[in-house]
Amino acid sequence: MTDKNNKIPFEEDNYTHNINRNNERKLDRRGFMKTLVGAAGVFAVSSLPWGVLAAKELNGLGDKKYPKQKITDVKSLAVGDSTDFAFPGEHDSAILIRLSESKYVAYQNACTHLRCPVFWKKDEGEMICPCHHGKFDVETGTPTAGPPRRPLPEIYVKVENGAVYAVGVKRYEA
Amino acid sequence: MKKRLYLELENCIGCRSCLAACTQCGGHEERNRNYVYDVNPLVNRQTMPLMCLHCVNPACARSCPAQAIQIHETGAVLSALVEKCIGCQNCTIACPYGIPKFDTEQNLMYKCDLCIDRTKDGIPPMCASVCPSNTIQWLTEEEIDAKQSQFNLDNDKWVTSMPLEGETNVRVNLPGILQGVTKLF
Repeated sequence: MTDKNNKIPFEEDNYTHNINRNNERKLDRRGFMKTLVGAAGVFAVSSLPWGVLAAKELNGLGDKKYPKQKITDVKSLAVGDSTDFAFPGEHDSAILIRLSESKYVAYQNACTHLRCPVFWKKDEGEMICPCHHGKFDVETGTPTAGPPRRPLPEIYVKVENGAVYAVGVKRYEA
Repeated sequence: MKKRLYLELENCIGCRSCLAACTQCGGHEERNRNYVYDVNPLVNRQTMPLMCLHCVNPACARSCPAQAIQIHETGAVLSALVEKCIGCQNCTIACPYGIPKFDTEQNLMYKCDLCIDRTKDGIPPMCASVCPSNTIQWLTEEEIDAKQSQFNLDNDKWVTSMPLEGETNVRVNLPGILQGVTKLF
């Protein structure tokens, strides 16, 4: 039997070629691919809540509803004047400005820089934050000068029966 | 207590119990993985069982491009791993005994794995359990040596598994008339 050439010619079993069960690699190629695909699946599934949130936003379901709140009477606010109020919470100070006979704008008046109160300068026709001289456009609430970079949160107002009501807060969109 | 499968071929009576047992064994899906051959067909009625001999250096596993055939720590050569086998049938060609069978439907090789779920716990494989004529036995090394000492051949011809292709974990008793001259398989 010694003339038979049935010896293993050399040590064939190594890391990538192995037929011994106990030397089986813990992670073969297929296991690696399964891990990759599984991780991708986990990430995909775990991102679904963001999709739900996005859908809520797109469908307007994320808008908070606040009970409408009376700010002032139309008679007590002359054109070009402003008045302070708080909306939606008692600590969310806000400002209402009457720009014309029928046009009112209202903003939460904490400056978007460092939350100093923003005032309405009637003779200059702009909103000014006294702390660092930030200025805001009264029509839109966008910053026009100084350190603030974000617009003031706008408050929707409605005129009913000779009184001005705050009905909601415009969502901030970067 | 390591035991081996031992085939005492001249005991075989051709009852095919081993085939039936293999067929009905759990996990075999109604397919047997061993064979019963006529030794001299149309000459006499002598039969012999043959199952995988579980080579120490198995040609089937060596030929497998996907390394789907693995050698268990007990020495048993396992059936093709379902998740690895690519159905190339290299093993069926490589095996000198023609043991691996091929399932064309599943595109999968299947072969005797010495009932590894049983033998790994020291329980004899199904075929050995049912063999009524003591052809297929489950013996320790000492018992196999004792078998050899029963034969007083003064020509040192009594061998187990030596005229075969290589060393096997299953020992075969080769009847005297067949030693060395006639190849069985």
